[in-house]
Amino acid sequence: MKITNQIKDTTIIITLDGELDASSSVMLDEALSDPEIMTYSKILVDCKDLNYISSAGLGVFISHLQRFEDAQIKLIFYNMQDKVRNVFEILGLDLLMTIVSDYEEAMTIADE
Amino acid sequence: MAKEQKFFLPYKLIKSRASHFLSPIKLSTVFRFMLYRTNAKSLFITSALVSWSLLLANVLLAAESLRQESSNGLDLPFVNNFLIVVFIISVFGFQRMSADNLKGIDFIGYLWNIFAKGGIAAYLSVALYMVYRMVTNYSNVQSPLLLHMVYQVNFGLLVLFLAKAFYVWRQLILYHKNKFIQIAWDWYEILLFATLILTLLNFNYSSLIFLPLLGLIGLYTLFLCTNLKWVAYLTFNKKGRSLILLVAILLACYIFADFFYNFADSPLLVIDYTDVGFLLLAMFFVALYTFAAFLVALFSLPTSSVFEQKSEDLLNFQRLSQSIQQGQSEKQVYDMLFESTVKAADASAAWLEIFKGEKKDEIELCHQLTIEEEQIKRIRHLLLAYNIQHIDYINNNLDRNPGFRDLTLPWKSLIILPIKSKKHLFGVLYLLKDIEQGFDRETVNVLRTFTNQTILTIENLRLVHESLQNERYKEELKIASLVQDSLIPKKFPSDSWFEISTHAKAAKEVGGDFYDFLQLSESRIAIIIGDVSGKGISAAFHMAQMKGIFHGLMQQDMPPSEFMKQANSALSRCLEKTSFITSALYIIDYRMKGFMFARAGHCHTLYYNSMMDDTFYFQTDGLGLGIIRDKSYNNHVREMYYDYNPSDVMVIYTDGIVEARSPANEEYGEERLRYMLTQTYHLEAEDIKCAIINDLEDFTGPTENLYDDQTLLVIKFKPTQPSE
Repeated sequence: MKITNQIKDTTIIITLDGELDASSSVMLDEALSDPEIMTYSKILVDCKDLNYISSAGLGVFISHLQRFEDAQIKLIFYNMQDKVRNVFEILGLDLLMTIVSDYEEAMTIADE
Repeated sequence: MAKEQKFFLPYKLIKSRASHFLSPIKLSTVFRFMLYRTNAKSLFITSALVSWSLLLANVLLAAESLRQESSNGLDLPFVNNFLIVVFIISVFGFQRMSADNLKGIDFIGYLWNIFAKGGIAAYLSVALYMVYRMVTNYSNVQSPLLLHMVYQVNFGLLVLFLAKAFYVWRQLILYHKNKFIQIAWDWYEILLFATLILTLLNFNYSSLIFLPLLGLIGLYTLFLCTNLKWVAYLTFNKKGRSLILLVAILLACYIFADFFYNFADSPLLVIDYTDVGFLLLAMFFVALYTFAAFLVALFSLPTSSVFEQKSEDLLNFQRLSQSIQQGQSEKQVYDMLFESTVKAADASAAWLEIFKGEKKDEIELCHQLTIEEEQIKRIRHLLLAYNIQHIDYINNNLDRNPGFRDLTLPWKSLIILPIKSKKHLFGVLYLLKDIEQGFDRETVNVLRTFTNQTILTIENLRLVHESLQNERYKEELKIASLVQDSLIPKKFPSDSWFEISTHAKAAKEVGGDFYDFLQLSESRIAIIIGDVSGKGISAAFHMAQMKGIFHGLMQQDMPPSEFMKQANSALSRCLEKTSFITSALYIIDYRMKGFMFARAGHCHTLYYNSMMDDTFYFQTDGLGLGIIRDKSYNNHVREMYYDYNPSDVMVIYTDGIVEARSPANEEYGEERLRYMLTQTYHLEAEDIKCAIINDLEDFTGPTENLYDDQTLLVIKFKPTQPSE
């Protein structure tokens, strides 16, 4: 699992590469717990190379969801592979989180 | 039959009694050897005393007759010789046995043994002779009898001394022996005792025939005297003490030799013990060996400190490597390292830094030797400036380096030894010496070996610690899987309305799958399936919680969606932040021939409708439990009612099934599961389940360790019973 950050103005783009399982979700939790992340208005998560997400990985996003919402920070997922999207959908997360098809769409939603 | 037994009974009794009598005899054989030894010792003492007394009597008798007749020499040389031989053999035999008790490496003790029990004899003999001279001078009377007496006593003392020294030297020659030396010694002993035959037969050993033989024995003795391994084990101090003892023993040899040489062929005496070749040879051996030991000890004095250092290093290595077995802590290992390296390098100042935790900036100064913290700080600062603080570094001339010269340290050599393995830096050892070129290659090698050994020991200690932790973790997991196992119902109610077949396979680490049922009324049953996020013990406990909630809430018989809402509210308060539970609840009503269900983030239900001959997934919305923890959850759960037909099949499962991976890392997937049902819907529930599981196992290949729990429930509705 590789997590890389890219900053564009008030947007932070987090790129996930690999499998988000129990051990790598700890890294993700660390990245999302960084107090600095609250200074951005948008968090874009690039899931192009995310091959698998475990319940622990989902749990990390879920645990931070409320915090971002309260701080009015937009959390947007894009480029999600079908099988990963299916996991989000089964759990009902597609209704809670913003999942879009590509970067352009993500940026337009983010700028709203 | 009974008769026969009676007949045999007495025989058995006799036999057992016989064995009873036998046992003390067997026991005694154990003690026989000990008895034999003490018996032999007392036998030797008696025979020595008797032979010596007889010899004395005989000699005195002969002296008396010599004084009176002045022409007749010794009457019975053979008797005397026989007594001499008996005496010598007795004393040597006795000493041979008592020397066996000398063991261990206390070589000073060996030497002391010779001196205290043998060497003193020489001084006694001198004293005796002095007294004799004083008495004769004072009374001005020549007393041949008294002289004979003194001579005879001295002879006894000589043999005692020789025997003692002979056998103590034997023990030392055979120290760290090999087979060759053992054989060489055995033959030497035999050869030496064989010379007693010459005495017995009253041959003169100094005749020309025996001279070459004597020469050969002399060479043999010389060869044996080269076995002086024990000297090397003496420390400097002990060598000094042993030198004094060796001189004392040599002196004793000289006294005896001088005494008997002076009386050799003396016309005053009827007997001359210098005629006994054995004594001469034994004396030659004892004196030569003592002299050789003296020389070797003397000349090895200057080098003994090197040997001592090496053996101490070796001992320290042993201590370091054994510290794991002795269950010592890391701190003790570092203590040992510090102590050993300071000694091995003879360092004048030193300190040891240990890194605490993963970060390198947390340094603990755990040892300091004649150096102040201020100096350490300055040196470290300089090293940081040179960027050499954590690497191997030797500077044997600090004054030549301007940086160190400015620090005005009292030391001239510095070595830095990082204690690091391939992955981990444990600490750094700094040694300082007040001389230039203080750390030569030899010393550095020894120091490196020490640090390497320490790294090994520390890593092993950590491994041992980790494996213990692991063991405990495994034990906890075992308990957790037992808990999990006990939470899953072992059998469903068998009913004529439907048949149900279940499959549950736990992953090696405890997962969070569970299912349960509750008979709500005669015609209604509630079935729940769920998956707790996360693994291990926390998952097992959340499962138990969910089971409690299921049984608690369903007592009130509520619709599935209401159950999910209330369960979400209950779980919101006790579930940890990153945890959630997916679940699906089905309430089947046989009388209405329908079922009601709600899905909370759980896998879609697979269904086969026999009327339409179609397999499909129920696509309903529903958010997992514990994701939204307020009232707004209520908008995220849907309920569905479905009328079933006879022969309809419902497949309920957890994500462990559809997310199972093949060796090529492909997922089993919903589509393949659906396809399996289209092929098998006509079978019984049990057979459908087996078919799906077999296909799944074909797909994943033979794997022992499941990545996730796999749970599968197959429910097949049956036609209405005719009686209903």
